[in-house]
Amino acid sequence: MENSTVSKSSISFGLSLAVAAIVNAILTAVKEKSPAVMDGMKKLTGHHWITHTVTVLAVFVAFALVFGRMNGGQGMKVTIGGLLRTIVGGVVLAGLIIVGFYLFAD
Amino acid sequence: MNEIILMLHVVFGIACMVAAVWLFVDVLHASEQNIARIRRVSLGAVLAMWTAFLVGGYFYVTAYKADKAIILAEKNKPWHFAHELVMETKEHLVIILLLLATYLPIVAANNLATSKDARKLMLWLTATIAVFALVMDGEGALIAMGVKMGLLAK
Repeated sequence: MENSTVSKSSISFGLSLAVAAIVNAILTAVKEKSPAVMDGMKKLTGHHWITHTVTVLAVFVAFALVFGRMNGGQGMKVTIGGLLRTIVGGVVLAGLIIVGFYLFAD
Repeated sequence: MNEIILMLHVVFGIACMVAAVWLFVDVLHASEQNIARIRRVSLGAVLAMWTAFLVGGYFYVTAYKADKAIILAEKNKPWHFAHELVMETKEHLVIILLLLATYLPIVAANNLATSKDARKLMLWLTATIAVFALVMDGEGALIAMGVKMGLLAK
């Protein structure tokens, strides 16, 4: 029998993916424009890109945990359409920010 | 050794892309008979992506500096974009691809045979991964061409 549900993890990590993608894009622009941020990121792990990756992955996991604990532990309530729009929208927007930054602002 | 590392990066990246396309087709015909395979291939895809990412990341952090200098040499000006635009975007876009691939087995854990929503999510996810991986592959090719042109430039 067909049902229309996805797991709490699918929703939590899906929403978190969109957040992490945007954070990735914003962090890219911020570190390129701020020598202080770039230097700080270099000092943390020896290379700015390693710090960048670890930061984004941490955001991904952290927000998934937060979203999963909402609504008394039942997680966020979203329709599949809303979830898809958030994920695809987040990924596309993040991509546009990154490409746009290096095309026009760097 | 660096050349082998770079080739492994490409091989595992392509493996992830092929797995994503495989999954797209398998999910279109999701049933109790192929759910186990979908989940195995999803795990394979994420392992391939993480391997490609770590291997490529290792090359980027340790050896790319030399290639960057070749691309950005004064005599290679028409190909400076291979680093200034292509590599700079690739090293940050690929993190999004890593997130998408990591999300794959989480979605695959749903009962794809009975959940229309889960299948829809999986189809969009695998299609996005496949397209993204293709773009990354293309960017990698442009970067490699930038190095080649830099070496050939007079």
